[in-house]
Amino acid sequence: MTRLFGDTDKFGDHNSTPVVEAFHLAVRALVRRRFAESGRPWHEFVFGAAVSDITKEDFESIDRRLLAYGHRYVWSAVVSQQERPDAYLPAPGAEDDLAAFSFEHPDAVVLPPDTNGLEQRGIGDNVVKYDADLIGIARYVRSSPTVLHYLNEGVPKGTIAIIDDSGGTLTAPILGQFAGVLCAGGTVRSHLGILTREYGIPCFMNAKLSGLREGDTIRMECSGTAKTAENYQKSMEMTSRVWRVTR
Amino acid sequence: MTLTYAQLLETNNLIQQNSDETYWLCLTRTVQESKLFPVSPYMILSYFMAFYRYPALLRKIENHMRAEDIGDRVRARGIKCQNPALGWGLPNFYLLGREYLISLGLIRPQDAVEDVAYVLDFWKRFQLAWHRNDAHMTNREFGHRAQILPERRLQIFHADMYDCAEGDALHTAAQAFMAATSQYGFLASCESRIALHNQGPYKIDNDREMIVRDFMDLAEGDYPWLDGVAAEMPYNNLTVPMAVQDCHFNIIDDWGSFESQPEFKSDHMVGVGLYTSDSLSESYQPVGMDSREELTATFVDLTVRAKEATSRLWKRIAGWTRDQMIDAGAITYFAICKDIAHVAGCYEADDWILIDQRAERFRPLLNDEYSNMSLWEMLGPLSHPGQRTHDYQLMQHSNLPANTYSLIPYTILDDHDYTATCGDIEPGITHLDPKEDRYRTTQGVLTQAEYNRRVKAFTPRLSGERFRYKCESWLKYQYDTSEADEMYRIEQENSRNLRDKGAGLRRLDIEKIRRS
Repeated sequence: MTRLFGDTDKFGDHNSTPVVEAFHLAVRALVRRRFAESGRPWHEFVFGAAVSDITKEDFESIDRRLLAYGHRYVWSAVVSQQERPDAYLPAPGAEDDLAAFSFEHPDAVVLPPDTNGLEQRGIGDNVVKYDADLIGIARYVRSSPTVLHYLNEGVPKGTIAIIDDSGGTLTAPILGQFAGVLCAGGTVRSHLGILTREYGIPCFMNAKLSGLREGDTIRMECSGTAKTAENYQKSMEMTSRVWRVTR
Repeated sequence: MTLTYAQLLETNNLIQQNSDETYWLCLTRTVQESKLFPVSPYMILSYFMAFYRYPALLRKIENHMRAEDIGDRVRARGIKCQNPALGWGLPNFYLLGREYLISLGLIRPQDAVEDVAYVLDFWKRFQLAWHRNDAHMTNREFGHRAQILPERRLQIFHADMYDCAEGDALHTAAQAFMAATSQYGFLASCESRIALHNQGPYKIDNDREMIVRDFMDLAEGDYPWLDGVAAEMPYNNLTVPMAVQDCHFNIIDDWGSFESQPEFKSDHMVGVGLYTSDSLSESYQPVGMDSREELTATFVDLTVRAKEATSRLWKRIAGWTRDQMIDAGAITYFAICKDIAHVAGCYEADDWILIDQRAERFRPLLNDEYSNMSLWEMLGPLSHPGQRTHDYQLMQHSNLPANTYSLIPYTILDDHDYTATCGDIEPGITHLDPKEDRYRTTQGVLTQAEYNRRVKAFTPRLSGERFRYKCESWLKYQYDTSEADEMYRIEQENSRNLRDKGAGLRRLDIEKIRRS
């Protein structure tokens, strides 16, 4: 069998995630086959037939083969799932079932209500330490139609947006109207963290939440210590709390 | 073999520097994510584009202007020629493309070695020139700091800055402008931070520091998706010198992001100014700086324009197909260093805004899951097979037996078993609307041909042969010469407070002038 350069590797032999491993094995097999068919030495093949004879159609075939095995891709951009619903896993938490939807993070710290009626429903990495905590109304913002609705109608005053997008584009036209932000991903240096700092909007990144429903009154401990790059580098936990206000 | 052992040693050192720093940046800043844009798919596509096109494009640029000359020319410009564009994006997008192709079995570490050495040598020469005043190659080397500007420019930023305080009209307007324009920059750049850049810090008093904040590619220019929606943006690039009190910027990284102790909040901001610049401006040109009231009104006006452009652009993007989103993102990333072509006067849109057909063929692989996971492996656990090294190694920052990027084997000097280059630019495609031939510059809205023609005919006076080597070390002992005085007077031509003041002032003098 024709061997590729990477077929002999003392220290590395496979990728660590299944889809990447499947794709890379398939592509390497394709390269091996086309290299053998070319009858050329590698130095002539690599920027010759390896470019002209390994085509978009070949890669489409690899994609189809994985789907034919029954795999469905995890999506991250809504447009990907919308354009190829047959290729991606379903998208829970759509607009019409928000009333029953909540983020459920397995590591969310949940405690019963204290004497002040504060029921802890999660934690997050505080972007900026403010003088006081923030109380507001939880509203999930997870899709373009929701953003468009708020763009046209205005964001209700006191909204603490619950977002699973650590980027700064999905909520771009309405971000400045939020009272606070709880983001289920990213770090304090993600784009959303940078932007909320510029706007002066309290924000927790990497928020691990459970049971917060649309319309709940919640409190963010934005008076908590902010998490720094050094904390991330040294894997130091530095979290602030999120409560549901029960009375 | 045209490369020597010494050149290979240096090339591998430059690869390793980028390897270490990229890991640190990704560890502390996380992998980008967006529910709107397929970010990882477009990032990977851009890496392939960079691998196949950068060597030829950089050689084309150097037929017009050398990398170190471009570095000199753009030092006093707030355009996409600093971090993250040249400082990090140029070498790392190229190296990431190379590493992906190695992982896919499509190339070996000893393929395209003359390209690799050339791209990194271009980067090194540019960086050394751009960083000439702090004499480092990267912010990383400087302990995450960037002091790019000469004293004469810093004095003007310092002298002409208006004081502000939390709650006053200027402070409110400036803060709103920076928030809205950052937001617009992220959207115009398809979720990347490359429209934004910070350099510094610079010491302006015992308890005050200044950073210089750039907001770039805001108007109709190189990006087709800004045609129409950005027609009302009157400046393509804006720069805000910002003074803070009781706040130390302890990290300004090679992505142009900052961290501070204590963490920066708006009430730390005590002074601001506003400028524009591009390849056709002598240096930074003041914007709305004739009075405090004018500057406040200018910030308010630009904030409204940025917000309106954001809404228009968001609606346009929300209607895009996935392929259009990927194209726009990949172009944004790939073309991160395009402004060097503008500076050299050889910018051609087709070089920068089309997806090279060699990269385009990979698109069917780039579903969200493969892209996210393969990128995570590439930048987090470093678990692509080609990244793993022997078991005794402790990589910087990660302590892993791995490197982000593969080094070039020295055996090629013996066995000559290598390839030199991936070849010239090949045709490209796009799913986006064609670019309209309009470019907003400091000399008005120009066509591409006219923009290039004017750049070719223009040499900023302080970049000409007479002054280019008259550096800060020279100035220290020659500040009382007529040539030093002339240099300062040229820089001071548009300064409200320092016009014709010359070269003899110190920082304390500037503070007295501000207070007078």
